[in-house]
Amino acid sequence: MKLLFFQTLYLLMFHYGAAQEAFRLAKPIIGYRSAFFNDSAVADLRFAQAGTQIYYTLNGREPTEADSKYQRPVVIKESMTTLKAKVFGRGFFPSATASVTFIQDGLPIKSVEQPAGDENFKGNGAATLQDNLGGIADMHSTNFIGYRRDSVTILITLDKPQSVQSILFDFLQDEGSWIFLPQKVEVLFYNYKNRAYDPWLEKIFSPDSLIKGSSTVLAMLTSGQKLVTDQIKVMLRPLSSIPAWHPGKGNKAWLFIDEVKIY
Amino acid sequence: MAAVLIKPAVLYEAGTILGQGNKRYRIDTHWSQADVARFPVNDCHEMIQDRSGRILLLTNETKNNVLVYDKKGRILTTWGHEYPGAHGLTLFDENGTEVLFICDNARHQVIKTTIDGRVLMVLDYPRETGRYTKPEEYIPTETAIAPNGDIYVADGYGKDFIIHYDAQGRFINFFGGRGTEEKHLLNAHGICMDFRSGGAPILIVTSRQQNAFKRYTLEGAYINTISLPGAWVCRPVIKGDYLYAAVLQTNSRQGDQSGFVTILDKNFTVVSNLAGSEPNYVDGKLESMYQTIQCFAYPHDVCVDDDENLYIAQWNSGKVYPYKLSPVI
Repeated sequence: MKLLFFQTLYLLMFHYGAAQEAFRLAKPIIGYRSAFFNDSAVADLRFAQAGTQIYYTLNGREPTEADSKYQRPVVIKESMTTLKAKVFGRGFFPSATASVTFIQDGLPIKSVEQPAGDENFKGNGAATLQDNLGGIADMHSTNFIGYRRDSVTILITLDKPQSVQSILFDFLQDEGSWIFLPQKVEVLFYNYKNRAYDPWLEKIFSPDSLIKGSSTVLAMLTSGQKLVTDQIKVMLRPLSSIPAWHPGKGNKAWLFIDEVKIY
Repeated sequence: MAAVLIKPAVLYEAGTILGQGNKRYRIDTHWSQADVARFPVNDCHEMIQDRSGRILLLTNETKNNVLVYDKKGRILTTWGHEYPGAHGLTLFDENGTEVLFICDNARHQVIKTTIDGRVLMVLDYPRETGRYTKPEEYIPTETAIAPNGDIYVADGYGKDFIIHYDAQGRFINFFGGRGTEEKHLLNAHGICMDFRSGGAPILIVTSRQQNAFKRYTLEGAYINTISLPGAWVCRPVIKGDYLYAAVLQTNSRQGDQSGFVTILDKNFTVVSNLAGSEPNYVDGKLESMYQTIQCFAYPHDVCVDDDENLYIAQWNSGKVYPYKLSPVI
């Protein structure tokens, strides 16, 4: 209803030739060290524009002026909490909603082995995918490892065999920089009964049809029932051919990943 | 439908005011009166005002590479069909005659013309530097002209060198380029002459991906860096005591139409951001800047006219004509 209201308002204003006087506010800036945390995460919200105010929610709902007015940094303690923030100001259309989902650490991981990234996007060393650093959409951040190859195999070893149900990945999506989500994610687990890797989870991504800026994309794959293992093999297939609508059509896409977690 | 009948406050604002302090402006997005069917634009890259007060816009639309406006936004004339990569536009007063320097990304050339488009000189890729083997490696974005006519070209989409020629186009030297030292550049998108100190002019060069301007002597010796965190600054434009620059986009929202316009005083302190965050210095260090009002998409250049009005040309922004910003007294 609110969207309809603003669309109608815009049409009315355009009709009367006053459209140039009304603008939308930009999204507020959410500042945080990492979207991944052990005990708690802290986020500060910024919007240095006189006459405006930031409102936010932690319950997943779209912020309104009836929600919390931002005054001081927000502390997040619960995993998968999504902070949503929006700016309101007299004389402007409210901003779009900025949001970040904060994720608590998963099961203790002994090691993650992944192939070396591209020369310019090597990441943060061997522990890049398990260092609890990431969730910030910046391709030049060393949180990310960037690949431009046919496949990326990642071996995850937990500190002991235990019950597992989900795996979470954090990817970067930045089509303007030729960075796409993988076209396929396959996850296998080491089955001690037959001493081999067996298929466990799978997900297929279809490339978007437009460039949307830069954002991080959390992908949580969950199985219906738990199984016991300590070794998980992930096979990521970067997009092999950029779609026809994109300036890089037909080329191999980049794949950027900054974190893997097991639950 | 009841909501439609509510009279929103937005309608009663006299016009959105952008910026802070004594550098605030009222925006007019309908300044251009050009008929899009007759005078189309593609990317609106750069603008200048000539001595007679006309506003010249350079676009990479070859139906009319240069649109000549009066200050009221009426088209006076157009010229140019041979600049598919029209990008940089610099005005120079050559012994009383105004001439233009156009950087063409697609032609890999710099072209000097009269004010009405007659070609006077063409500079090809600078093989004299020993750093280029073919024209395609050279993608000039901007020029600056010294009082004696010496030409400085910024290869901002090529190898980020600044190439220095004399007024006749004879190669003198080069500097900048990519690397890890402070004197190096990354996306040397703009260049200008700064005469404000009263001494020898200083070159100010954009290092856009480093979110900075870098200062050099006319001989190419590096002086210092003006850091502009978060801001993909385009060319510096100096008028009076102030330096103006379009910010194509911000680091926090890349590829997302997050541009604004920044204004620095002669001490290189940011004093106002038009449609951007109020500048804030903590312990002398500028905090990261960002867009606050979505009135620009990807602003690419600022032209300041003789009445202190600003004209903002935009790249890749739905082929919009320039906007005009009038100072708020």
